[in-house]
Amino acid sequence: MIACVAVVGHQNNPLYLQSFTGADDALKLHHIVHCSLDVIDERVNNPKRSVITLNESYLGLLYPTESYKVYGYLSNTKVKFLVVTTDLDVKDTDIRSFFRRFHAAYVDAVSNPFHVPGKKIISRIFAVRVSGIVKAFAPGTYG
Amino acid sequence: MANYLAQFQAIKNTSDRLVVAVEDVSDLWPSVKEGLEKRLPLKKASLNNKTRNPVYVENLQAEFILTTDSRLRSRFPQEQYLFWFREPYATIVLVSCEDLDEFKTILKPRLKLIVQNEEREWFIVFVSKAHPNNDQATKNAKKVYARLEVDFNTRKRERCCKLDLNGVDASFWEDFDFKIVESIRNTLDRRAQFYEEEIRKMSEQRLMPVWNFCNFFILKESLAFMFEMAHLHEDSLREYDELELCYIETVSTPGKQRDFGGLEHGDDQAALLKPGFKPLSQIVQDDSFREFEFRQYLFARQVKLLFRLGRPLEVVMRGYSFIISFSKTLALHENTLPFCLREVWVISACLAIISSTSSTYDGLAAPDNEKEFYRLHGDLYSLCRIKFMRLAYLIGYGVEIEKSPVNSASLSMLPWPKPSIWPAVPEDASAKVLAKEKLILQANPRMKHFNIQRKQLPLEPSSLLREANRRRASLSVGNLSELIDYRQIDGSGIDGHQKFSPSTTNSMSRTYSGPNLESSLSLDRPMRISEVHVAAEHALENTVTDPDLLKSLSSLEEFEQKYMELTKGAADNYHHSWWKRHGVALDGEIAALCFKHGNYDLAAKSYEKVCALYAGEGWQDLLAEVLPNLAECQKILNDQAGYLSSCVRLLSLEDGLFLAKERQAFQLEVVRLAHSEMKHPVPLDVSSLITFSGNPGPPLQLCDGDPGTLPVTVWSGFPDDITLESLSLTLTNTLNTDEGVKTIKSSDAHILKPGRNVIKLDVPPQKPGSYVLGVLTGQIGNLRFRSHNFSKGGPQDNDDFMSYEKPTRPVLKVLKPRTLVDISAAVSSALLMNELQWLGLIVKPIDYSLKGSLLSIDTGPGLMIDESHTIDINEYAKTMEDKVHAHDSNTITENNTHPLEPKQLYIENGKIALPDWASDTSTTLWFPVHAIDDRMARAASADSPHRQNMVDGMRTIALKLEFGAFRNQIFERTIAVHFTDPFYVTTRVANKCNDGTLLLQATIHSQVKATLCLYDAWLDLQAGFVHVRKENGRPVSSFFPLVISPSSTAGILFSICIDNMAIADQNEVVQAESILNVMYGISGDRSNGAHSPTSLKLGSSDKLFFKVAIALQRPILDPCIAVGFVPFSSNCLRVGQLINMKWRVERLKDLEASPSSSCKDEVLYEVDANPEIWMIAGRTMGHALLSNARGSRTEITVTCMPLVSGHVRPPQLGLPAMDDANISCNPPGPHLVCVLPPTLSSSYCIPA
Repeated sequence: MIACVAVVGHQNNPLYLQSFTGADDALKLHHIVHCSLDVIDERVNNPKRSVITLNESYLGLLYPTESYKVYGYLSNTKVKFLVVTTDLDVKDTDIRSFFRRFHAAYVDAVSNPFHVPGKKIISRIFAVRVSGIVKAFAPGTYG
Repeated sequence: MANYLAQFQAIKNTSDRLVVAVEDVSDLWPSVKEGLEKRLPLKKASLNNKTRNPVYVENLQAEFILTTDSRLRSRFPQEQYLFWFREPYATIVLVSCEDLDEFKTILKPRLKLIVQNEEREWFIVFVSKAHPNNDQATKNAKKVYARLEVDFNTRKRERCCKLDLNGVDASFWEDFDFKIVESIRNTLDRRAQFYEEEIRKMSEQRLMPVWNFCNFFILKESLAFMFEMAHLHEDSLREYDELELCYIETVSTPGKQRDFGGLEHGDDQAALLKPGFKPLSQIVQDDSFREFEFRQYLFARQVKLLFRLGRPLEVVMRGYSFIISFSKTLALHENTLPFCLREVWVISACLAIISSTSSTYDGLAAPDNEKEFYRLHGDLYSLCRIKFMRLAYLIGYGVEIEKSPVNSASLSMLPWPKPSIWPAVPEDASAKVLAKEKLILQANPRMKHFNIQRKQLPLEPSSLLREANRRRASLSVGNLSELIDYRQIDGSGIDGHQKFSPSTTNSMSRTYSGPNLESSLSLDRPMRISEVHVAAEHALENTVTDPDLLKSLSSLEEFEQKYMELTKGAADNYHHSWWKRHGVALDGEIAALCFKHGNYDLAAKSYEKVCALYAGEGWQDLLAEVLPNLAECQKILNDQAGYLSSCVRLLSLEDGLFLAKERQAFQLEVVRLAHSEMKHPVPLDVSSLITFSGNPGPPLQLCDGDPGTLPVTVWSGFPDDITLESLSLTLTNTLNTDEGVKTIKSSDAHILKPGRNVIKLDVPPQKPGSYVLGVLTGQIGNLRFRSHNFSKGGPQDNDDFMSYEKPTRPVLKVLKPRTLVDISAAVSSALLMNELQWLGLIVKPIDYSLKGSLLSIDTGPGLMIDESHTIDINEYAKTMEDKVHAHDSNTITENNTHPLEPKQLYIENGKIALPDWASDTSTTLWFPVHAIDDRMARAASADSPHRQNMVDGMRTIALKLEFGAFRNQIFERTIAVHFTDPFYVTTRVANKCNDGTLLLQATIHSQVKATLCLYDAWLDLQAGFVHVRKENGRPVSSFFPLVISPSSTAGILFSICIDNMAIADQNEVVQAESILNVMYGISGDRSNGAHSPTSLKLGSSDKLFFKVAIALQRPILDPCIAVGFVPFSSNCLRVGQLINMKWRVERLKDLEASPSSSCKDEVLYEVDANPEIWMIAGRTMGHALLSNARGSRTEITVTCMPLVSGHVRPPQLGLPAMDDANISCNPPGPHLVCVLPPTLSSSYCIPA
């Protein structure tokens, strides 16, 4: 299950964070997403280290812990997309496809002329769309 | 083969180095032992690794063992085959012989026997005991050795070397080392090949039922062990890696149900670094090994090799991933394992890896590796910390764990342990249950500071109470309702205890104090939370064997100490790694514990770090969680500056993060502190809270030197109105940074409403340039605050980390000094002298308002303003228009007869206040002036027309215009106005009639741009002249009025004659000059120049009167003396050439005829020359001899030199003693001579 999706700006500032746990515990997800930036920073700053070449937007699994996983995706403009999932067995292709949809939704949202670049995304349509993508996400549904 | 496991283990433990066998044929070992063993370990050995590539091994350990030694002798052949790795890798045959025959007969066959074993790698060391002085012995030994070489060396390989006991050759040892290494290498290759072949064969059977992992393991580990002995650790490690893969594959094959292990005492402590923790024979499970022990064994072996290879980083990397993966494996078998073994095992494993590697890491590795190393350590600490917290939570310390995002993230998503049956409450545990109950009840629910109401974050994935009861085997479904009741009381887990009402507590304590407590704990009744804790604690005591861990869980203090240790460990290591955020977040946890223990100083420091991180990256949700804690620390520490700043930061967080009530509380704190007596008033940065910007639209433009009012928009982020005692802003000149910043102040108290406020600030005159807003400063109570934050004019910007990038827009432009106004005279030509005239001044504002301006007028000498008259003012542009129209219609109209917006102004003390309507338009001011000139106009001779000097008619007016908002701008100008007489008169005698009548022509030249109209003119003659026929001196009356157009002339003829009578009355005082009186009128436009005097009605025919003096001379009828200019001797004069000027003076009459002259026979002369043209040498004045007789003559010569070239007037000779009338001159009038430029003089030329 996807616990949370987040968009983080190029200055590591949160642009959007939506929790799907149902409980009133978004703060811990804030923490998880924030800490995951460490991993992204490390990968971006040490291309030698990272397993995945940076030619690709998809950063892969950032954070294997016992209880949840964090996947990352980095756009050309250094906007980071993160997904926290409690599902421990997720196929890479599913996540990749999820991120592509998520990215597309983000691009549409920031193309809104009333959106101030670098500010939080407050578009309701974006939220609905992201919720839709998250709901549609189930392992194996995407090729 | 599996039966050999125990033996295999024993062999491995005893043999740790390669064995080199020594076949001591000639009993030489005692004498050579020392020398040989000195060579060990082998300094440098070239071996082949598994892929047959050469590897250089340093300090290869080996051991010499005599073949007669029991260790080599007592082995069964099968054992030898199995454990081949321990067999000798080389055989040294030590021989000595000095007799060739003896060698041939005895030694050689024996040696042949020894070396016939093909599988052995051998070489012969021939030891020569011969003393070097003993030639014979040496010779013999050489012979024998030569024979030995022939017999045993082959073409491919030399197997002999010679050791001289007396005097060892250095080359021998090299040879010896080489031979040993060669033998070892060959043996190693052969054995590795053998093992590989065996392993390959066995691998092929892997999927068959006959497959036995133990056999495979023995072979594989033998190979690995052999590599390890040969210091080929890399190959050895690879063997273990393959072994591990193969094992995991074997274990994961479905079908076979195997024992997992982990049930024995002490299994809770990870054996990751202890390969010999349990003998392998104990963990055999059918054809394989128990997973729990065996995987740890394999890992321990790998770690050992990694340490040998000097790779602590890899140890940590493999360690961490092993722990994670093994923890998952443990989770699969959790229902068979003791309660919480998994957690306990992870804790011990992490600590073991940390302690083993932290000491070995030397820090010499690359910085990248170092960071990775620390990161992994941080991960290990962090993992350990999470598991430790989980254990602590289970036994009831959860109430004391900070419910922070960090802890919540790690614990609330971590599932509970899943034992098959949740541990039950032990017997006789009532006291413990009570104690736990007490602990829970006494737990001080941490109130958030500022009364912030926030739902606490969960630390448990699901309610522990429900989980524990669900997993109790005996709990029937019927008890579910009871369970639900408990849940209601319990709320969301442990936090629910805060909601226990006193009555509940009482009833519960009553229940527990009863003597029949045990019976009340019937199996059917669900456990209370305190019972769950007691049960868990009891179960853990059975699981945990590590006394340290037990101690850490024994009491709250011990728990907190361990918790602190782990958190600090994780944080410190993360700080050294790339993962700063992890470290800082954990700093927050350290701070929370410090705060709890009253260590506010440390807590504040840590909290500051956390806040800085969150604020720096804009994670306001997280910041809102930590910042109140920091504020509380600062409040307790009495750090007013910090506390204020924290309050301001709290206020500047996003709106949704705090309730309005909470925000008001923050503001109250700020205001309270601001108005309190602070020891050291602190500056406060409110950039995030109060922002400001210039008004939208173009910047305010001011002229140089003008003050102004600058409106500034100030956004207040305070939730309520806030009173500012003062407010000031700095302006920075963008063009000239040298000037520094200017501060503009608004001293009034302002009340800032939440949101947008517009404040007007007075700007004193500034230097030219473009100004941007700098810093907003102000005072709230005693508090000086400043804000650097610009807002774009939109709503307040909260992302303060972004806002510094915004481009600053100039709010004020002070223009460069320029002319703001221009005043010029409206007349283009001269005005009438001695008459009242309108003087026009055009006041022309140049894009600048002249509102309230004051014009001071100061007239120069010879000019005065008639203050009795009003001053006209009218619009200049209109005037011009009117004029154009007037010209179109060919009608001359006076402009000021149709003034559109005229105003009559009065001059007071030389100052005129300009009316408001004239502030933006060009206006013409007309004021009456009177130029005075006392001199009487004189007529000039027509021959030498003498124009009136322009300077004589010039009058000046000094003007000073004070204007601008505060009359701060000053414009000063002095205007010259030209005044003139209406005309000038030239006279000449037009004709001399025979009867003595002279026709005097007076030519009147108009000097004004106005039409003059002469009404009358008459001539008052001087003595000696009379009008013909004694008339009144007027021309014909029908002649008038005579109209003279501007700049034209008119002439009047007068007939006069010389009055001979007059000479007789010389003594009378008579009129010396004739006077021409003219009665005239003038009609002109005042904007053009001369016009009717102001005092007269415009357009009226009142006449003006003008007098001109005319000098008349009696004609020279009989001159006494003639003066003649003698022509020059040379044709032309040149500059710089001396010439003699000569005049001839001749007496025309006898002196008696002239009674006025004296009796002297000499004449006074004077040479008059322009000194700029002529240089006179000698006297210019003197007496010349001239006899009184008629016809006498004389010549006066003056030497002079012309100074300029051209046609110039020569010097003139005058006779001052003579009346002009008595002198006749030749030439009669002024004449000119030509002076040429000087001849060129080559001496002045400068050669090129």
